[in-house]
Amino acid sequence: MAEEIKPDETLDVRGEICPNPDVKTMVKLKKMAQGQILEVLVDYPLSVERIPGNAEKNGHKVLKVEKVDGPDHKIYIEAKGG
Amino acid sequence: MNPLIFLGIPIGLAFGFALQRGRFCMNSAFRDIIVLKEYALLKAVGLAILIQMVAFAALDMAGVITISPNTFFWGANMLGGFVFGIGMVVAGGCASGITYRFGEGMVGAMSAVLGLILVGLMTTMGAFHPLVVAIRGATTVTLADGANLTLANIFGIPHYALAFGIAGVALIIWAIRSKSSKGSSKEAESISVGTKIFKKGWGWQATAIVIAIIGILAFIASTAAGRSYGLAICGGYWTTIQSLLLGQNLIGWLSVMLLSTILGSFIGAKIAGEAKLRAPAPKVLIQTFFGGCLMGFGAALGGGCNITHILTGVPQLALSSILNGAFIIFGCWALAYFWFVRPMRNL
Repeated sequence: MAEEIKPDETLDVRGEICPNPDVKTMVKLKKMAQGQILEVLVDYPLSVERIPGNAEKNGHKVLKVEKVDGPDHKIYIEAKGG
Repeated sequence: MNPLIFLGIPIGLAFGFALQRGRFCMNSAFRDIIVLKEYALLKAVGLAILIQMVAFAALDMAGVITISPNTFFWGANMLGGFVFGIGMVVAGGCASGITYRFGEGMVGAMSAVLGLILVGLMTTMGAFHPLVVAIRGATTVTLADGANLTLANIFGIPHYALAFGIAGVALIIWAIRSKSSKGSSKEAESISVGTKIFKKGWGWQATAIVIAIIGILAFIASTAAGRSYGLAICGGYWTTIQSLLLGQNLIGWLSVMLLSTILGSFIGAKIAGEAKLRAPAPKVLIQTFFGGCLMGFGAALGGGCNITHILTGVPQLALSSILNGAFIIFGCWALAYFWFVRPMRNL
């Protein structure tokens, strides 16, 4: 079985309108210390597709994108830190 | 009733499906150039415009359709476009964006549609209508023979020559640029064609090509039904509500196409497992409603939304659509800068 990821913080952006899931995730990651793990709960398809790419582009490490149910996804990202 | 209006059903279903699969939203396309440095949707919009530009010119030469630029009323185009651009940032989606998300079950988009309908009708036929008449009346410019302005006819260039010329230059620039940036090809994913079409979001090239083909077929089908124009959205909402609630008989190709678009995006979302009724906080619902109101005013004043002007008008080289489209982008950038870019920079 895959190793369980233990997030340090959770950001729930389900139901939010474009581009808040993306922006809130990037803002949150910017404030987190190096190595801390953020769990993003998101149900907006465009953000599910774009958050991983944008996080990587900003130097963070995407650990996992997990489909939960319907449009609901969990994205785990390790912050690069300031 | 002309039975050919029902040609709007397959076009709308395909359009809604493609919007949902391609996440085709011009608010995201323009806003995210400055907010997230994302260019994929912008490229999709650009390519869809170029393909249609060539096809519309060719079909016009063949006598299948007639290039039908909207009237150029620079004051209404500028103000309407700018207000619409601000509105789509507030609403979290352009006319096509809120329409496909309506089909996906996003309540925030439904609330924006409500605002778009309400204030749109107040502007086309209600309290704000005198303002529209005044602004348009004071700023309308046509050719001496009364023809609506296009980039071609103001310089006396044949339409097809300019359309093919612009597309040709764009193709050469694209070829040079893609030559210099090769080597970044991603690993091919081993997934089936069915999964690519129905389950995964489409890439920008596929989105652009499919949307352009639908746009071309839409112009042909709509012309056959007696309406000489291609894809549009806002007018479809207004004429539907005017017919259903206000007792006016305005159901035509556009209304049929629009209702089918919402259904098409629902089908796309349902197959992909992305359909679900979901709502943001109440204050966000009020925000998206207000955004929809601004979009309704802007579209009714400027003679159309981003689909009418940018997707269908710009490929016809309509001066009204080029100006209106530019101001939609300015409005979008103005608010996105203060709402997203500055706060993110000041962290």
